[in-house]
Amino acid sequence: MKKMSGKINDAHSIAAYLVKQLKKKGTDDVVVSAVSEEATQLKFANSMISTTQMWHSDKLNIFLAIDKKLIGTSIRDLSTKAADDAVSRMLKFAAAALPNQEYMGIAEGPFRYAGIPETYDKNIVELGETAIDLLKGAISVAHKNGAKRTAGVFETTFFNTYMLTSNGVEAEDKGTKAYFSVRAFVDKYASGHHICNARVLRKFTPEASAERAAVIAKQAVNPLPSIPGTYDVVFSPLPFANILESVGKAASIFNVESKLSCFSGKLGKKVGSDNVTLVDDGTLPNGFDSMRFDEEGTPTRKNTIIEKGVLKTYLHNTSTAKRHKVKTTANAGLVTPLPFNLILQNGKFNKEEMIRQVKRGLIITNVWYTRFQNYETGDFSTIPRDGMFLVENGKVTGPVKELRINDNLIRILKNVSAVGSEPEPVFGWEVEIPTITPAVLVRDVKMTKSVE
Amino acid sequence: MPAKSAVKFEDAFDLDIAHSAIEHARKIGASYADARLEATSVNGFVLKNGVPQVAGFDRVSGIGIRVVMNGTLGFASTNDISKENVRNVIEKAARITAAASAIGEKVKFSHEKAEVASYEVKQKVKLDDLSPKEKLKVLFDAEKAIKSTKANATGRFFSMSDFYTERYFANSEGSRVLSKIPRTDFWYFITVEEAGRTAQRYWQYGAAGGFEKIYGYNFPAVLAGEVKATHANLKKAVAPPKGKVDLVVAPQITGIMVHESVGHPYEADRVLGREAAQAGESFISTKMIGTRIGSAAVNIVDDPTIPGSFGYYLYDDEGVKAGERWLIKKGIITGLLHNRETAAVLNCKSNGSARATGYDREPIVRMANSIVKPGDYNEGELIESVKHGVFLKNFMEWNIDDKRLNAKYTGAEAYMIRNGKLAEPVWRPTIEISTPKLWSSVDAAAGNMEYHAGTCGKAEPMQAIPVWFGGPSMRIRNVRLSF
Repeated sequence: MKKMSGKINDAHSIAAYLVKQLKKKGTDDVVVSAVSEEATQLKFANSMISTTQMWHSDKLNIFLAIDKKLIGTSIRDLSTKAADDAVSRMLKFAAAALPNQEYMGIAEGPFRYAGIPETYDKNIVELGETAIDLLKGAISVAHKNGAKRTAGVFETTFFNTYMLTSNGVEAEDKGTKAYFSVRAFVDKYASGHHICNARVLRKFTPEASAERAAVIAKQAVNPLPSIPGTYDVVFSPLPFANILESVGKAASIFNVESKLSCFSGKLGKKVGSDNVTLVDDGTLPNGFDSMRFDEEGTPTRKNTIIEKGVLKTYLHNTSTAKRHKVKTTANAGLVTPLPFNLILQNGKFNKEEMIRQVKRGLIITNVWYTRFQNYETGDFSTIPRDGMFLVENGKVTGPVKELRINDNLIRILKNVSAVGSEPEPVFGWEVEIPTITPAVLVRDVKMTKSVE
Repeated sequence: MPAKSAVKFEDAFDLDIAHSAIEHARKIGASYADARLEATSVNGFVLKNGVPQVAGFDRVSGIGIRVVMNGTLGFASTNDISKENVRNVIEKAARITAAASAIGEKVKFSHEKAEVASYEVKQKVKLDDLSPKEKLKVLFDAEKAIKSTKANATGRFFSMSDFYTERYFANSEGSRVLSKIPRTDFWYFITVEEAGRTAQRYWQYGAAGGFEKIYGYNFPAVLAGEVKATHANLKKAVAPPKGKVDLVVAPQITGIMVHESVGHPYEADRVLGREAAQAGESFISTKMIGTRIGSAAVNIVDDPTIPGSFGYYLYDDEGVKAGERWLIKKGIITGLLHNRETAAVLNCKSNGSARATGYDREPIVRMANSIVKPGDYNEGELIESVKHGVFLKNFMEWNIDDKRLNAKYTGAEAYMIRNGKLAEPVWRPTIEISTPKLWSSVDAAAGNMEYHAGTCGKAEPMQAIPVWFGGPSMRIRNVRLSF
């Protein structure tokens, strides 16, 4: 992959020009961020590369507030002509828009930004065709471990973001990402999935993921029909990250206000068992979405969302924080604050020790299609995918199929009875917010199945 | 050669950028190349509990190029369409695809006619002719209508967008297709509270056309109706009946059923395993074509050419002419959705199902507008024919496994049917059923066709694409609701 084009340098001066022009026209707040991104993906199916994909994009995102009217747009053409055109169109748009009386401004800079270790690796930038060899190696490992076919993606990304605001912020960050998702099949109904992601190549482990996926698939052959009911469930990191992502989104003040959260009115109250401590950390070394600053330029930080089961904070930007008379948690989204990297605090059990605690239960290695009947109450269902195993009297007795989790987000958190000691980073198709979690034991999970 | 057409790129995109990209790809060794040059103008508005959020406008443009190198398929995109950059991008894509061919699938495309065409969807009320304030008025009118009900609607979230997409497709076989499609999209999410309990409901409306589509939906009436029904459900609903009952499902539920349990599993790329890691595979195999999956009352098609539809197009993103394609006829599986790649594997013709959400995504097999065909009854007759059962008007929660064999649909607005008449509301009646059981239990369809809008997700990176799904009300005999 080629190094960053020179355009980001042009973007600095165009960003400055835009901020100056928009301020001159009487706007209150301006945020300009220049984002350049290059990504390469090897998509594979039936253990062959089905497509190579490459993306390249340079753009300038522009946000302005004028008389509490909030307008957003972007430009690709980094010329003063395009910038002038954007200024004039934004002001025209604003003149005919309506104000958001709840808007309370953006962060006041300048800020100093600490570097975050392990977020950039030139070995990823320069990986090029070596990615094909790494993928080939991983597919081979899956087959050696019993897989008959594999599918997934192997993706690398290089990005550079420069931000300038009318309130004294000037910030820049660049980073690399490597992501591998592999699903291994022994037959149509016996599969396993694993994911790895990293910001630096030495922590990227596609072969280990391929092995894990294949081992699950091999164990999942000939699943037996299952009986609906209440089970103690040992969630692998992949499915529990899916559940924690919903928890992280529910912590956003925007979602609380929109009734898209089960945490409304629950600050300072118990929302989980004592075993649940969940933090969001935008500064995490090697964190997949770690950034030095949020979308308004506030330096990112570590926030404890849930501590020993008690909800400690919602996630805020400057405007929502002022309105709620708290400090920003540095999670802007200029509209919707969101987590960067969710981390469930480790417990002390390894997976086998958790299984031994289960009299009648299940091991669920993946879920998909999580949907809520009511976000405010937390009632949802999700479907186990890939290998699912029955546990009886502390021992795994074999694979089972076709059950659905029909439960409640808070009830799940309150029934967490043990947390594992081996965290794994999860990010992918079903988990868009990077989440680090070990396996987790949840008591009394309600499982249903098709009645006919 | 540009298409001879009255339709032109408004911003005078030079169509030769696409042609020279294809030419360059061929020159450096691609056995096949295509290019999609695209520009989409978008406006978006959000009203949260009566307060406007950030309003935005944008113009997204760029080029996406596919090349076949040593038999393997490569895709690359860029939003910098300068000749030099496009050439660089093609060369990089060609290089990595050629290297990947060592472990690459050898792709073949079905033989298709090279099409030269242009078309556009006309707007009665042009998206550009309305100010942001006039567009926001739609959202404020909906807000006002909800406030006028007596119900306590504690959450009111509306999002409205309009898009105008100009797309030019060209390939190395001589296809040249230019299209201009405006679309509007509105969705709402409401929360209603009664005596400390809440219920929620969301739905989406979308169409190809101008802003007249938005005005035609009459959102104040739609939203007031939703809030009143949700409130009545909270106040008066009874538990769903136990034991086997008959169901009448209204078009919204018919629509989600056909989309999830017919449209998706009939996508040939799933059947062949190409989406196995993400969107999943299918319980359908090619051997099942010609076999029975439902009763004789079940007739299902997918048709991109329905005028004004959200999934509207006349030529797909491989330049193949689109038309109605049958998936189930009188209960028998008749075919799959194909692009040129899956058609070649299964030795048939593409039926024009290749779609990409934008210039920066590869075209893959997608639905457009999936519908159950109308039957001979009317909805009233279906209800009258049920002695003891449930009428499900719409739903909130749903999901289906990744082979599309076991689905769940939980009703939102629903009523008991007693002796052929609608009675009291029912609280969350849940259908949890296998796909063959569902379609073999449908024994009658009405004629009250409705088309509903959705944004369908597939592929990695995600491609969220506009679709319609729908059909008439259907009667489902003798099934058990889940608890």
